[in-house]
Amino acid sequence: MAIGVKVMSRPDSGVSYVRATLKGMVLTFKHLLQPRVTMQYPEVRSTDDWRIATRWRGTHRMLTDAQGRSKCVACGLCPQICPANCIKLVPGEDEAGNRYPLIYEIDEFRCVFCGYCQEVCPEEAIHVGVHYENAEYSRERFVYDLERLSAQTHPVSTLWDPSDPKGE
Amino acid sequence: MSTDMVTLTIDGITLSVPKGTSVIEAAKQAGIVVPHYCYHPSLPAPAVCRMCLVEIEKLPKLVPSCVTPVAEGQVVHVHSPAAKKAREGVLEFLLINHPLDCPICDQAGECELQDFVFQEGRAGTRYGDEAKRWNPVEDFGPDILYVTNRCILCTRCVRFMDHVADDPVLNVSERGDRAYIGIDPGHRVDHPWAGNIVDLCPVGSLVSKDFLHKARAWDLDKNASICTGCTQGCNIMIDTRDENVVRLRPRPNLEVNRHFICDVGRADYRWMNRGDRVEAPLIGEGDRLHAQDWDVAVERTVAALAAAAGDAVVLIGGRASSETIGWTLQALEGRTVTAAMKVPMGEEAPLAGVPNLALRRERAANLHGALLLGADAPWEAALTVASRAAVVVVLDADLDDAEVEALRGAGIVLHLTTVADPRLPALRAVLPITSVAEEQGVFVNRDGRAQRYLPAKTPPGMARPGWWVASRLWAAGAPDRVAPDTATEALQRLPAFSGLSHRDLGFVGRIVAPVGEAAR
Repeated sequence: MAIGVKVMSRPDSGVSYVRATLKGMVLTFKHLLQPRVTMQYPEVRSTDDWRIATRWRGTHRMLTDAQGRSKCVACGLCPQICPANCIKLVPGEDEAGNRYPLIYEIDEFRCVFCGYCQEVCPEEAIHVGVHYENAEYSRERFVYDLERLSAQTHPVSTLWDPSDPKGE
Repeated sequence: MSTDMVTLTIDGITLSVPKGTSVIEAAKQAGIVVPHYCYHPSLPAPAVCRMCLVEIEKLPKLVPSCVTPVAEGQVVHVHSPAAKKAREGVLEFLLINHPLDCPICDQAGECELQDFVFQEGRAGTRYGDEAKRWNPVEDFGPDILYVTNRCILCTRCVRFMDHVADDPVLNVSERGDRAYIGIDPGHRVDHPWAGNIVDLCPVGSLVSKDFLHKARAWDLDKNASICTGCTQGCNIMIDTRDENVVRLRPRPNLEVNRHFICDVGRADYRWMNRGDRVEAPLIGEGDRLHAQDWDVAVERTVAALAAAAGDAVVLIGGRASSETIGWTLQALEGRTVTAAMKVPMGEEAPLAGVPNLALRRERAANLHGALLLGADAPWEAALTVASRAAVVVVLDADLDDAEVEALRGAGIVLHLTTVADPRLPALRAVLPITSVAEEQGVFVNRDGRAQRYLPAKTPPGMARPGWWVASRLWAAGAPDRVAPDTATEALQRLPAFSGLSHRDLGFVGRIVAPVGEAAR
């Protein structure tokens, strides 16, 4: 079967390109005079006009107490609520006999960043972070263990506040 | 209607119950759970918690339903506004000093205080930032911690030790809001049945050291089983987390163990998590064992059996199911079979308050099943016969060095087992079978009661139930034989159980042998 070919009727002569070029240049020079909206990322990461939302939900951070120990008590609520099943928790005891996680790992690749873990945490230990730069050289590095989660320094998410739905 | 029955109405449901029943039990039969803490069906009721208050028409005040007997024509309101208000008040008082440590409390998820507060308690507290009473955690006994702060003083543990265990070492010390459960100076809660106070405790006040911080209640898969510790046959639940057995708990069976199990049975679960299990059938070729698939393994084993004409001996471990024992004997039909179960002996530890309940001396779960099925030879006699028998089948029995030595003279040895034993001589086949935690089966206890247990975890590798392996060996022996496909079919086809199916046994079991007949 023959393939149908549509023949366009383009004028091949008698039309000047000068007019179209000028039109394009007018647009270009118009933008040259307008205020700049592009941000020079990564040199500039936020400006007065634009910064990342405080309720952004990014990679996790575990908060620590005054002694620098994780606040987690291994209650098991975050692995229970996690819809992506990305939190691995093995409870145990620390030296003082308090309940403490022996293993606490979050697979950030599996995580869907819903923030339920932060909402459910009774100790305000695990938080989703205001953070979005996560490049690594290997996939394994995206499984954050307790030490790494506690070492994160980025701010934590405020999550959505029902009394202030628009974040004003 | 017999005169011994009383008809009453509970929350609009009219029912008849035997005279003398308490209102709380009658409500249970009507499908209504009256919130309660101090009441427990296996303990005397003191009505101290005031949680089960209900309104009964024509009575001036609310009454505790756990100690109020039913009466003809009674009209009970469990969920009337007055009763609910009273219970809400009780809960509020209980919560004044109860710590908010549910995240680290082992009872969270199966806590009756959580349940009933969620059901009928106040949404908020009226106490603000006032400090709560604080006491240190106390070490009560070998496996028991007492977290004083969480205690709601229901006194179930005190009453269990006083009236059931008959070892009154616990008491309520101090008065009023300073009261706590005290232990007599110089004593420990080390009665062999003391672990039950952990189950009885409605909150997380008495916790097991063994289970402490191991798993949350909602992580656990719970399966009905039978304790393998002794011939009593206590009903238990096997709680597993990620295919690992983490604890055993009693399962109520008023005919056998009421609500209790002993501490020996409670601690007897670590063997269920063994990692060194046989995972594939191993068949002897020359002086080595080679892994084979089941078809080849059955074929070679049957060939080895056929080549070894003569007497057979079956040495059985105490945890073999009735199906497994029955079909192993069936697989050896046509020979003179001497079968015996190895029964380790221990001290008897009775529970004083419950008749006919004790940790028995014979520490083999299915001893009476074995006797019923004809595996009734004395152990030493069987070993003597085994030393010159043509075929010896070791059915998941733990043999000591002397017993292994006694098998030196045997023709061929078949090992149906969970764990391989390299000491066994003349091994022709090691056939992996499932353990009690991984199969469905039936044990017969010392009263002749057949009770079934259910699988709690997946078997390792190619392991199959013992009856499956034995019946395949039997079926491969002649062309017209059909092996059973299910455990219940395996049981039904054993003459000793006369067509009884697993479903017939239900969850309380059934007497299959008259009491005493199965006794040695």
